[in-house]
Amino acid sequence: MIRFENVGLRYGNGPEILRDVTFHVVPGSFHFLTGPSGAGKTTLLRLLFMSLRPTRGLIFVFGENVSDLSAAGRAELRRRIGIVFQDFRLLDHLSTWENVALPLRVMGKKESDYREDVTDLLRWVGLGDRIDAYPEVLSGGEKQRAAIARAVIGRPELLLADEPTGNVDPMIADRLLRLFVELNRLGTSVIIATHDYGLMDQLDAPRLVLYEGHLEIR
Amino acid sequence: MTAVQLIADIRDYPWRNLFAGILPARLQPKAAAQIVPSASIAGNALTVVIAIMSFLACLTAGAVYMVNQSAEAWVKDISSEITVELDPVNTADIEKKMTLVSLFLAKQAGVTRVKPLTAEDSAKLLEPWLGHSEALSALPIPRLIAVEIDRSNPPDIKAITEALWQNFEGVTLDDHRRWRAEIRTLTRSAAAGGFAVLALVAAATVAVIVSATRSAMASNREIIEVLHFVGANERFISREFERHFVGLGVRAGLVGAISAALVFLLLPVAMHLLGGEPATATEMSRLVGSGELDLKGYLLCMLVVFVIACLCMITSRLGVIRVLKSYA
Repeated sequence: MIRFENVGLRYGNGPEILRDVTFHVVPGSFHFLTGPSGAGKTTLLRLLFMSLRPTRGLIFVFGENVSDLSAAGRAELRRRIGIVFQDFRLLDHLSTWENVALPLRVMGKKESDYREDVTDLLRWVGLGDRIDAYPEVLSGGEKQRAAIARAVIGRPELLLADEPTGNVDPMIADRLLRLFVELNRLGTSVIIATHDYGLMDQLDAPRLVLYEGHLEIR
Repeated sequence: MTAVQLIADIRDYPWRNLFAGILPARLQPKAAAQIVPSASIAGNALTVVIAIMSFLACLTAGAVYMVNQSAEAWVKDISSEITVELDPVNTADIEKKMTLVSLFLAKQAGVTRVKPLTAEDSAKLLEPWLGHSEALSALPIPRLIAVEIDRSNPPDIKAITEALWQNFEGVTLDDHRRWRAEIRTLTRSAAAGGFAVLALVAAATVAVIVSATRSAMASNREIIEVLHFVGANERFISREFERHFVGLGVRAGLVGAISAALVFLLLPVAMHLLGGEPATATEMSRLVGSGELDLKGYLLCMLVVFVIACLCMITSRLGVIRVLKSYA
């Protein structure tokens, strides 16, 4: 599904943030991506999501070499990936429901076909009473859950999450982790970037550990 | 772009959302929320600029159309008639010669009516230049015969000219070819001038839309990034922007076209109120006919609105795609 071969990345003329990163993600797997702050977790996620190009090495996503892909090809692959950002990236002028429905709208689906699905998912993540609320009145935790709902609504084949439980209380964090596990059981590969050891200890999943630009699998 | 892609584009176009951009809120169909908010696209200034462009384009197109219609009417009039001129000098009995030539012309195939003008009629034609004077009667004024021809079955002008030349001395035939050529030159000049103005208006419209598109893209960069993250391709993103510009183009275009139509409707009244003499109106009507647009003229104004909306759509689409490529 995902293959990194000797991937290196540097910004401009600066030092290499990632060095010789090589790993393989198989369909249906569950990984945690961890490491100290500034180790390059977010950068690695951006490479996985094709919003950055590697300085060297090869990246294959769903069997496609991302260096050979056109903008349209990358957009097509991104529809198969769900991503949760640390800073949520919700659109302030859209309601919670509209934000969550955005990926389905982009896919060209009819609103009548997904209306109930979006509402059900929002209820499931505990935002049933915030459906019509706008992001500016949501708390950090609520925004986090809305962002996660947006990432998973399209039933992605790969889910990438950057500190998805960083802004939620333990009960909601547990619930979100169950959501990720449930998605994983349904066939979605999951990579969660976190330094929350409590969260990682709840699951027996391989850990991709980044340290000083190098990646180690534990 | 292939035909299949074009059909898919038309089928997938968010038409409901487009109407949402054009119609006032109370008349809008229930549409999905705008991903790119209208307020972030362009302010009233852009609408005013496009409306002015549409107004100028409609005025130009309407004026050229009226001149063209008027010129066509002139050409039609003078094409239905030829004039035979008799030189009175060295002609003993000019009246007899007028009768003989008239009879000759009346016999020709394709001639529907022959009207010999009297000496007084010919003198009257010169009055605008020479004034009313008894002295005119003493001048050897050429005598004229107006000949109406059947346009569906025109006479052989060349044969008649030669026959007149052979049978009558000092008789010439004028088929108004020179006038027709001059009128056509005038019409073509007016049309060329009109097209030049329309081209300038189109260029200015494109320039302001390009600038507005760049500005809209810059102020909505975060939305574009999110759209990229959820898998939107360039076509989807450009459509989200272009429908705002199409709505703006149609709204502003209609305001400009309606304003121009009002000008055409009120021009005669305005000229009267501003002290225009009847002669002014007469001169105006010679130049532009009745001075009012007919149905085709108003349809031309609607065509201008359509072209402006298309310019807005195409320019914004290309602008968005170009900026998106620079992001990649």
